[in-house]
Amino acid sequence: MNANKTRAWYLEKTFTALMWLFLAGACLAVIIPLAFMFTASAMPARDILKMPYPWIPDGIYWQNFWNALRGPEGTFIFARNAFNSLLVSGTVAFFTVIFSSLAGYGLAKFKFKGRNLVFMLIMATMMIPFEAIMIPLYMVAMRMGLQDTYAGLILPFLANAFGVFLMRQYLITFPDEILDAARIDGASEPRIFGSIVMPSSGPAIATLAILAFRSQWDSLLWPLLVVQSDEMKTIPLYITKFMAETHSDEGIMMAVAVMASIPMIVLFLTLSKYFVNTEGLTSATKG
Amino acid sequence: MRHKRGFSMERKKARWGWVFVTPSLILFAAFSFYPIINAFYESFFNRNLLSLRPPSFVGWNNYTYLFRSKEFWLSVQNTLIFTGGTFLPLLVFSLILAVFIMSISRFRRFFQMAFYSPAVLSSVVAAMIWLLIFDPRGLANQGMNSLLGTAGVNYNWLSTTTMLRLSTIIVYFWKYIGYFTVLFVSGLGSIPDTLGEAALIDGANRWTMFWYVTFPLLKPTTLLVSIMTMIQCLKTFSTQYMFTSAGAPTRPINVITLSIYNTAIKDYRIGRATAMSILLFIVMFAFTWLQLKVSRTEDVSHM
Repeated sequence: MNANKTRAWYLEKTFTALMWLFLAGACLAVIIPLAFMFTASAMPARDILKMPYPWIPDGIYWQNFWNALRGPEGTFIFARNAFNSLLVSGTVAFFTVIFSSLAGYGLAKFKFKGRNLVFMLIMATMMIPFEAIMIPLYMVAMRMGLQDTYAGLILPFLANAFGVFLMRQYLITFPDEILDAARIDGASEPRIFGSIVMPSSGPAIATLAILAFRSQWDSLLWPLLVVQSDEMKTIPLYITKFMAETHSDEGIMMAVAVMASIPMIVLFLTLSKYFVNTEGLTSATKG
Repeated sequence: MRHKRGFSMERKKARWGWVFVTPSLILFAAFSFYPIINAFYESFFNRNLLSLRPPSFVGWNNYTYLFRSKEFWLSVQNTLIFTGGTFLPLLVFSLILAVFIMSISRFRRFFQMAFYSPAVLSSVVAAMIWLLIFDPRGLANQGMNSLLGTAGVNYNWLSTTTMLRLSTIIVYFWKYIGYFTVLFVSGLGSIPDTLGEAALIDGANRWTMFWYVTFPLLKPTTLLVSIMTMIQCLKTFSTQYMFTSAGAPTRPINVITLSIYNTAIKDYRIGRATAMSILLFIVMFAFTWLQLKVSRTEDVSHM
């Protein structure tokens, strides 16, 4: 009996040790490319190509960052493109939150004829992948004269079915008594929305804003279609052009990579709990 | 009188309901419904992006052309290889990592954050990092050579068909492993500890406990994650686009979205590209419908 127990104990310990080993190994494997990006961004290109890779840079080689900012033609277009990315992602995030909470609130708290149909229609758009409508959408954008404009980059993404769904699920449990009390006090519907509903939807809004911001920051396919001039490019487009033209200097490449990731890294470190929307997923799984 | 006032209040509320949903509805109409209806329509015409001639009706020609085209079937094959090669390892490894994370007592949050961290980078940046790693002088060759004890072998990560496909799979796997691990961790977190404890008291060992208690309870999460991964993989674009524009051969990784893009933008054949979009749409619609159906029945109770 006793011997049996110690055997089980050893087995347990070994298993736990193996588990830790596996996790640590996997962790290392995942981190290595990131570590490579950061260390290589601080090295001159000649060091990056040394075999074996040196891993620890001798100080920070600022030249990479300066050259990345200057750009291949010395026009500092990277700054402009980074501004475009911030503007487009920020605007999309802001208006996605507004439109989604408006619609989510309307669907959650108002009874009207055709409400279910509206909800079904909006949910149906979740089944239309962007990749399937991008060419017709591109034709629409061309016809509306949206080519190479901020409007062209922003407008198609303001309506977000998942956002409407998320806000509706979040607001459906909002107590009606509070809303009715405000109505009795004479508050108008827009006021109730602006000063009661919106301020109490913090977590859902944060999740949605981050989701919308990230997807625009990451977006490559749509900007490739609508943008033509260098001035209107976003960071992903800058990177593709940069890669095609100067596929030579690895240090500058990694400096660009680091600078392109800074906003996301800052967001992740400060608001990581809103990044993986497990709430939304669990509510989606209960819809 | 009172009844009437209540009635008008209801109507007023109904009107406000419409006011709140209208802005979104207009946007959906312009940027979702119209384009998809338009896509069906355009797929029967031979519109050319540069041609000034008005497009003419060609019936099913775009579709029959695609079904006969070797290029199209190659892009289907590439997409399926990518999806299959990415989805299964992602599923298995994220499940293992999640189970392990939930079995340790410390550093749970640290491991989740670490595994998730690549997902923070944009896919273009991810592709750029891996392009350097897959360079003949890069870390991938160095790592493989020291692991396998070979010296100076070039594994051609970005040039031979198989390796190039594997490379795109690795990039994707790396970027999304953490995301799915976190999803599984939250799925595991919703399973009450008491179930496991009961099983342990009944003399179950870890493996039987996982296989007969935890895994069946995780089935809804597993199904949902599988379909989500497949949908994601079917529309992969950035990695393939970046690799090909950095000089890697296009044919082995010419996935459907890349092929749609090139058909429309490089060959100017809008009608044909739209027909491809419609085919992609039908497949993904089926998957998404399945996902919604699965998540509907997802509501498991652990009581």
